[in-house]
Amino acid sequence: MSDSPPRVGVVKFASCDGCQLTLLDLEDHLLEIAKSFDIVEFAEASSRRSPGPYDILFVEGSISTQEQANEILELRTQTAVLVTIGACATAGGVQALRNWADHDEFRSAVYARPEYVDSLATSTPIADHVTVDAELRGCPIDGGQLLELLSAVVAGRRPQIREEAVCLSCKRRGTVCIMAASGAACLGPVTSGGCGAICPAMGRGCYGCFGPVLDANTESLTAWLRASGRSDGEIGRLFAGFTAYAEPFRSVVTRSRAIASEEDPRARE
Amino acid sequence: MTETAARFLARDRLEDLVHALARPGGVEVREVIAPTVEDGAIVHAPIESAAELPRGVRDVQAPGVYRLEETEDELVFAYAVGPHAWKRRLFPPQRTRLTFAGDDGRGAFDAADDASPSRNGDQVVFLGVRACELAAITVQDIVFACGPYTDVSYASARGKAFIAAVQCTHPASTCFCTSMGTGPAVTSGHDLALTEIEDGFVVVAGSNEGVELLESLGLPLADEDRRSSAQAAVRGAADHIERNNVGVDGSLARRLDRFPEHDRWDEVATRCLACTNCTMVCPTCFCSRDIHTSVLGQGEAGAERQWDSCFTVQFGEVAGGNFRRRLRDRYRHWITHKFSTWWQQFDASGCVGCGRCIAWCPVGIDVREEIRAVTEGEHGEDPREGDPFQAREGAQVRAETVGAGDTPGDGVPEPPPVMATVTSARWETADTVTLTIATPPGLDVRPGQFVMATLPGIGAPPISVSRISGAHFEITVRSVGQATAALCALAPGDRLGISGGYGRGWPVDEAEGCDVIVVGGGIGLAPLRPVLDWVLEHRDLHSGVYVYTGARTPDDMIFAAEMADLELRKDVTALRTVDRAGPDWLGPVGVVTQLLDPDAWAGESAVAFVCGPERMMSATLDALLDAGIASDRIWLTTERHMECGVGLCGHCQLGPFFVCKDGPVFDAAQLGPYLGIEGI
Ligand SMILES: Cc1cc2nc3c(=O)[nH]c(=O)nc-3n(C[C@H](O)[C@H](O)[C@H](O)COP(=O)(O)OP(=O)(O)OC[C@H]3O[C@@H](n4cnc5c(N)ncnc54)[C@H](O)[C@@H]3O)c2cc1C
Ligand code: SF4
Ligand code: SF4
Ligand code: SF4
Ligand code: FES
Repeated sequence: MSDSPPRVGVVKFASCDGCQLTLLDLEDHLLEIAKSFDIVEFAEASSRRSPGPYDILFVEGSISTQEQANEILELRTQTAVLVTIGACATAGGVQALRNWADHDEFRSAVYARPEYVDSLATSTPIADHVTVDAELRGCPIDGGQLLELLSAVVAGRRPQIREEAVCLSCKRRGTVCIMAASGAACLGPVTSGGCGAICPAMGRGCYGCFGPVLDANTESLTAWLRASGRSDGEIGRLFAGFTAYAEPFRSVVTRSRAIASEEDPRARE
Repeated sequence: MTETAARFLARDRLEDLVHALARPGGVEVREVIAPTVEDGAIVHAPIESAAELPRGVRDVQAPGVYRLEETEDELVFAYAVGPHAWKRRLFPPQRTRLTFAGDDGRGAFDAADDASPSRNGDQVVFLGVRACELAAITVQDIVFACGPYTDVSYASARGKAFIAAVQCTHPASTCFCTSMGTGPAVTSGHDLALTEIEDGFVVVAGSNEGVELLESLGLPLADEDRRSSAQAAVRGAADHIERNNVGVDGSLARRLDRFPEHDRWDEVATRCLACTNCTMVCPTCFCSRDIHTSVLGQGEAGAERQWDSCFTVQFGEVAGGNFRRRLRDRYRHWITHKFSTWWQQFDASGCVGCGRCIAWCPVGIDVREEIRAVTEGEHGEDPREGDPFQAREGAQVRAETVGAGDTPGDGVPEPPPVMATVTSARWETADTVTLTIATPPGLDVRPGQFVMATLPGIGAPPISVSRISGAHFEITVRSVGQATAALCALAPGDRLGISGGYGRGWPVDEAEGCDVIVVGGGIGLAPLRPVLDWVLEHRDLHSGVYVYTGARTPDDMIFAAEMADLELRKDVTALRTVDRAGPDWLGPVGVVTQLLDPDAWAGESAVAFVCGPERMMSATLDALLDAGIASDRIWLTTERHMECGVGLCGHCQLGPFFVCKDGPVFDAAQLGPYLGIEGI
C-alpha cells in the first residue's frame, strides 16, 4: 500500500446490513478511521459511488444470485485485500438453510411470480467463489474484532484474532456454564469465540454465530446431546443457524435431517 | 501465634461475623467475597450481608452435571465447590501486564502489577474457602510466587487476602480430595476456619489476625458437644468420599508420564471437545498469554495478560510447526501435567481433587476414569482392588504451606522490558538479520540465554543472544512472522524492549581442557556463536575444536564470512554442509550428521554443544552417543512457544521441564528421552 491512506470499500450481497452497521457503531473511533482510511465505497453510509481498485474491500453477504457470482469475481480483480465480514459472507448465512430445501418449491412458496426471481439454488460463502484474505466472523461481527483489524492494518501488523472456543470467553467473564448447570444445549464448545460469549451470559445456549472452531468435535457434542435425551431433529435444528453451511456443522445438519426424516417424514418441515 | 480454643458462633450471629470480617476495628476496609447463588450455581461474589449466603441450598454434581436443590434447613455451607475458584481473584482472567507510554523515540514499558482481588484495591476476605481450595492456593503460591521469578500481581493480591475457611461437611460425588491428601479438613493456611453444625458454627483461628478477629467478636468457648459434632461432621465427609466416590490412586497417577503412547489418548480425543473448560475451572491451572496490541489512534497499548489453556491449538505453536497439534497430545498434556509432571516441576501435585473439571466438562469426561484407564493393569491388577482407600503414598500437596497473611515472593519480580537501542543491523541471508544492541544498564546475558525482544504493540518473541561483546550484544533473527519480521526491519537508532537474559545458558567452563564439538543447523547456529566466541577466545584452554554446521542452501548460511574464516584456521576443524547446493557451492551436500568425524574426537572426554531443528538434534545425539560421549556431556538447546520467558505462563512445557527456566539448554540425559515422543 502506498503512503496515501488505503482505499477501502464496503460492499454487500445477500445480507441484512448488520455487519456494515458495526463499523458505524464504532462511534468513538470513526474520526480516527476516517483519518486513516479513504472510504471510497460504502453502500450503507453514503450515496457516493466510486469504482475500484480497492486496497481493502470488506464484503458482507453471501452469494445467492448469478449476478452476484459474477460481480464478486469482478470485485476480486480490483481488490488487494479482500475481507469477508459476518456469517453470511463467511459461511453462507441463515439463508444457506435453503441449500437443504427444494429450491423451486421454496421459490414458488415465497414469490408470486417465481419465474422473475433469478436466485441460485444455493446461498454460498464468498470463499466458495474467490480467494479471501481475511475474515471477521459472527452475526453480526464483533466491533472489537473489527477495530482490532483496522488498527492492525494501520500498525502494519497481523490482527490478533484467536482461534479458540467460545468457552474461553465464557469462563473468563465468569459465566456459569449453562450446559452443566441447567442441561441447556450450547454450541459454545464447538464454536469460534469472538463475540465475548454474550448468549450464555444471558442464559441462552450459543447459536454458533461465529461458526465452527478449528477441530470442532461436533461428533462428541451431538453424542452427548443425544445421550441427554435430545432427538436428531432437535440436534439438527440446533446446528441449523447462521453458520449451518460451514463444515462440520453442515454434516450434522445433513445427517440429523436424514435420520429425523427416516423416523418421521414430517420432521423435515 | 497465640493458640486459641474453639469458639462457638450461634447461627443468628453470623451477620456479626460478616460485619467484623468487613470492618476489623470498626472501619470498613475489606471486601468480603463469599459463596452466593447466581444463575443456578454457587459462585463467589462480594457480599454485604450474611443473608446473601446460600441458605438451605444443596448441590448435586456428576460428570458434566451441576444442579442446585433447595431444602428447608438453615445451613449456609452445605455444599461442595462451585464453578468459581479463588484464582479468579488472585490471578484474574485478564489484567494489564505492561503499559507503554511515550512516543516513538522515547516510549518505555512499565509493569502494571497491582491487580487487586477487591474492587477498592484494598484488603479482601475470602469467606468459605475449602480445604482443597486452600491446597490449590498453596499450589499457585509455589507456581507464581516462589521464584525464580514472581508474578508480583499475584503475590500482592495474595498478601491482601484474609482467609476465612469452611470445613467440608457435604461433599459432592465429584470430590476426591481424600485421594489427593488435601481435604476435607482444613488444617493450615487459614486465618479462621468454621465448621457448620446444627445451631451455628465452631470457629478456630489459624493466625494472629484470626485470633484478633475472634477476640473482637467476644464469642463463647465451644462446648464439648459442639466440638465433637463439628469433628464428626468433617470425619463424616471424609468417610462419605472414601466410601461413595471414585478415587484416584495418587501414586499411580504420578506415573502417567510413562504412558505417552497409550491407546486411551486416542479414545479420549474422540470425546474431548478441546473446549478448555476443565483448565479454566481448575483452581491450579495457571497458564496465560500476553496480548501485545495497539488501538487505532491511541498507539501502542502495552500488553494484556489473559488466561490461556493448553487445549487451544495455538498453545504449542511455533514458527513452522505445532508441538501439540493433535487433540490426543493436548488431552494427554493436561492430565499428565496435573497429576504427574507437576511433581517434577513444583514438588507438589497439580491436582487437589476438587472435582471441578469433572462437573464442568460439557461432555462429562472424568479425569479419574481416564487415569484409571491409562494406568490400569500397571501392577497386572485393578489399582482399586483390595483396600481401595489405603494411604496413598506420595499424594500429598507439598506440606510447607505459605502462611496466610504472608506475602510469598522469594523470587525476583518479573521485570518489564527495558528499552535498548539498535546500533547496527546486518542482513545475514535474505530473511535473517543480526542486530547489534547497546546493552541497557542492568541487563546481564550469558551464552545460551535468550531475551524477550519486545516491540510495543507487536509482540515479544524469545530470541537467543548470538554474541556478547563489551557494551553490546547481538541477536540474529529469522523473519518467520509478525514480530520477527518487525525485528528484521529495525535500523540503527531504532529502539526495542529487552527483558532477560533468561534461562540456563551453555556450561562453557565444563569444556575446559576437553575436545569441544559444536553442531549447528540453520538459525540454530545463532545461540551457538557465543560458545564459539568463548572457546576461540580461550583457545589454549581446550584441546580439539570441531565445528559442524548445516543450512538449507548456501544462501541460507548465517555468519557465512565468519564460518569461512573459521575453516581457514589451523587450530579448528570447521566443516559446512547444505541440503541443496547452488552453482557456486563446492562443499559437502547432505545432512550435518554426515560431517561428524568421531575418529578425530577424544571420545569420552569430549563435550558437545548442539542446536538446530529437533530432528537434526535427534540424529546428532545418536551419533555423539555412538562415539562414546556421555549423555551428560552433550548439551542441546531447544525451542518451544514462549509467552513470558520466566516460568509463569506455562506455554514452553516439554515433559517435566519449562524450557524457559529449566532450559533452553539441557543435557542429553535430561532431554534425550523426550526428543522422540511425538506431540509432547
Ligand atoms: C529459547 C528460544 C530462542 C529462540 N531464538 C531465536 C533466534 O535466535 N532467532 C530467531 O530467529 N528465532 C528464535 N526463536 C524463535 C522465535 O522466537 C519465533 O520464531 C518467534 O517467536 C515467532 O514470532 P513471530 O511473531 O515472528 O511469529 P508469528 O507471526 O507470531 O507466528 C509464527 C509462528 O510462530 C509461533 N510463535 C508465536 N509466538 C511465539 C513465541 N513467543 N515462541 C515461539 N513461537 C511463537 C506462532 O504460533 C506461529 O506458529 C527462539 C525461540 C525460543 C523459544
Ligand atoms: S484437575 Fe480437576 S479435580 Fe484436580 S484440581 Fe483441577 S479441576 Fe480440581
Ligand atoms: S499446561 Fe498445565 S497448568 Fe497449563 S492449562 Fe494445561 S494443565 Fe493447566
Ligand atoms: S476434557 Fe472436557 S472440559 Fe476439558 S477440554 Fe475436553 S471436553 Fe472440554
Ligand atoms: S513458562 Fe512462560 S515461557 Fe516458559
